[in-house]
Amino acid sequence: MEGDKRFRELIDKSFVEEVSEGERRLIHDHIRHCDDCKRYLELTARTIRGLREFTFTSEPDSSAQVREILAHHTGTMRQHDVQFKIWAAFAVALSMSIVGSALVYQMAKLLTVPTHFDTAQVQAGVLVFWLLPSFCSALRLLAAPGENRGIA
Amino acid sequence: MLTLPMTLNMTVETETAKIARGLRERDMELVADLVERCQHRLVRYLLYLTGRREYAEDLVQETWIRVLQRGSQYNGRQRFDPWLFAIARNLAIDYLRKKRKAVQTASLPNDRDAMLLLPSSDPSPFEAAARSEDAMRLAGRLQILPPLYREALLLRFQEDLSLAEMAQVLGAPTTTVTSRIYRGLAALRSAFEEGDSHGG
Repeated sequence: MEGDKRFRELIDKSFVEEVSEGERRLIHDHIRHCDDCKRYLELTARTIRGLREFTFTSEPDSSAQVREILAHHTGTMRQHDVQFKIWAAFAVALSMSIVGSALVYQMAKLLTVPTHFDTAQVQAGVLVFWLLPSFCSALRLLAAPGENRGIA
Repeated sequence: MLTLPMTLNMTVETETAKIARGLRERDMELVADLVERCQHRLVRYLLYLTGRREYAEDLVQETWIRVLQRGSQYNGRQRFDPWLFAIARNLAIDYLRKKRKAVQTASLPNDRDAMLLLPSSDPSPFEAAARSEDAMRLAGRLQILPPLYREALLLRFQEDLSLAEMAQVLGAPTTTVTSRIYRGLAALRSAFEEGDSHGG
């Protein structure tokens, strides 16, 4: 019985995993004189064959339905992507305009003495000629139509 | 002699790389082609996993949407099918977990979800799909077989996945995978053993 158990495990293995040529020959030789194991092998083969005799049908229009849903979903995802890119571009542009303005202001402050401007004039100059234009450029990203917006 | 296998290997690589690129770019033509090719097998896999057609139909659409959302995660180095089945499997587990929870927390006897989990009076999907006397015998066993074993049998004998691919889908070591196949086979084989001994 112990020997049969070992052969049955080997038979199972031969259907599920790779077995060596030697093991295959061993099974073949054994089932020639062991009816129980021969029947075991036949039943296993029959079970696997039976498993392949199921035909599942899906709804005839299910593929078309799925394709339609996916097309709609792709459109929505693309819109989200564009929206995300627009806001990302705006955020980057806004940060650059703030950081850039701060740097320009610092530079301009150094020039107040040689150019005889006072601080208020420098502030107004940076605001009018640097901060406002760059802020408007950033805002323009949000206002541009459709696909041309942002960095999309 | 070495050129043929190498050429074949390159063809497989090209195919999977093409799928990976298409998914990354959300190429609808490619996705439609994948749906056409895999829809039938996906339904079958989900049927084996859930044991109910209405669950499988629900999950099929969810799976494809997830494929579209996570398409960039498919690297194209392995076959597409195991990756698809792994996605479907994760969704099915979450779905069944929610259903079970709904039944446990259902306060009304006519709660829709609770009703869905009651044994269906419809013929089992396996009986409906059986195309031979042997398959019909197996159908009853398949319906009561734990889904883990059912799934392992399907992936090995119908989808012809390798043990390594199965391990990838099931997220389990190959020893666990083989043990599930053996147990599943033993349970189904007994359908014939008993049937034959009753039949004389």
